[in-house]
Amino acid sequence: MTQQNRGWGLGARGSKRFSAFAVALLLSVSADAQQPGRSAEAVALPDWSGAWQMIGPTVFDTATVEPKNGRAGDPGVRERPPYTAEYEAIYLKNIDAIKKGVFPDPISTCGVPHGMPRAFNVPDAYEFAVTPQQVWMITENGPGIIRIYTDGRQHPRSEDRWGTYTGDNIGRWEGDTLVIDTVSMKGWTEKDEILDRTGLVLSADAHVVTRLRRVDASTMEAQITVDDPKALTKSWAVTKRYRKLPAGTRVYDYACGENNRNPVSETGRTLTLGSDGKPLDKVTK
Amino acid sequence: MRYALLVVFCAVASLSAHHSATMFDSTKVKELSGTVKEFQWKNPHVWIQLNVQNGGKVEEWSIEGGSPNTLSRNGWRPSTFSPGTAVSIKVNPMKDGQPGGQFIGAKFADGKTIGNWDRD
Repeated sequence: MTQQNRGWGLGARGSKRFSAFAVALLLSVSADAQQPGRSAEAVALPDWSGAWQMIGPTVFDTATVEPKNGRAGDPGVRERPPYTAEYEAIYLKNIDAIKKGVFPDPISTCGVPHGMPRAFNVPDAYEFAVTPQQVWMITENGPGIIRIYTDGRQHPRSEDRWGTYTGDNIGRWEGDTLVIDTVSMKGWTEKDEILDRTGLVLSADAHVVTRLRRVDASTMEAQITVDDPKALTKSWAVTKRYRKLPAGTRVYDYACGENNRNPVSETGRTLTLGSDGKPLDKVTK
Repeated sequence: MRYALLVVFCAVASLSAHHSATMFDSTKVKELSGTVKEFQWKNPHVWIQLNVQNGGKVEEWSIEGGSPNTLSRNGWRPSTFSPGTAVSIKVNPMKDGQPGGQFIGAKFADGKTIGNWDRD
């Protein structure tokens, strides 16, 4: 069967053009394969199979949390990012709202993802799907999916992208380390994203670089470096670790809206419903 | 020891699965003894409805736990708090004194415990 019989519509002249195109395509693929980030097909991808769980509480920067071992959501607990005066003031305002019980977690509506870089700071299980072209980080909580393109593409031009919860993630392999570059997150501009329930936030100009690797058979590590010209005076480095769950661990459906008995009131107060569906809370506004 | 710590971390982390726990007083521990009315094994949090004798009345408490996903990996099952089961449960009670709380640990009639029962 000829190409013409297949309906390609190529005559003798078209065949020459097709051949030239095919050669150009092969050269292009060959050249791309030598670029950083395009070499995934040529290197052995690491084994990140199984289920993993974050070690420690859902405090983003446990190294600076005050008081030591403070829990996110407890009144007065805070971390020490190198905030600008503007964002320190925003953080203090959020901390005050937490004390008053009117700082709702955006995810409490069961309708939006944690986003980045908070996806590295959630409870329940993590899974990683590693392919030559793309890595997916899947969080059971949420549920959440972070799509990391490792096929050599760059971020879209600034005029071609917009803020999303998970941002735009591109990655490259440096040995067994996946270097993830994240831009275009929503941040706190419209009170969309937080990093944890101490009220920690970033601006929509944040740039996050995460070095993700397996440090031993049972431990993964994310070295997260945040730059944010609006929110931070200098780079902010945070390390999170994850422990492998026992072999055979199942990861389940997490339907946040299945039985959400903690709706958020109009004033931002997270309520607690009794079994009759009515708030138990004395104050609901 | 390392495994025991992991279990504690899991329990603490999972309790904050999808909302702030500011309505609960983490500095107070209240022990309740009663009978399970209903066990809601659903996301994002499990709920134990516990009937507790209070004077001559029965008071229904709503006790919130973590996600069934993580709790299942720590030994919990949908049958763990079957209706009619007699049990003692420690909670961080609601700050406003209403009959609700955050699960800490439970002790059954046969002496078996689940969660962080030894916490005072």
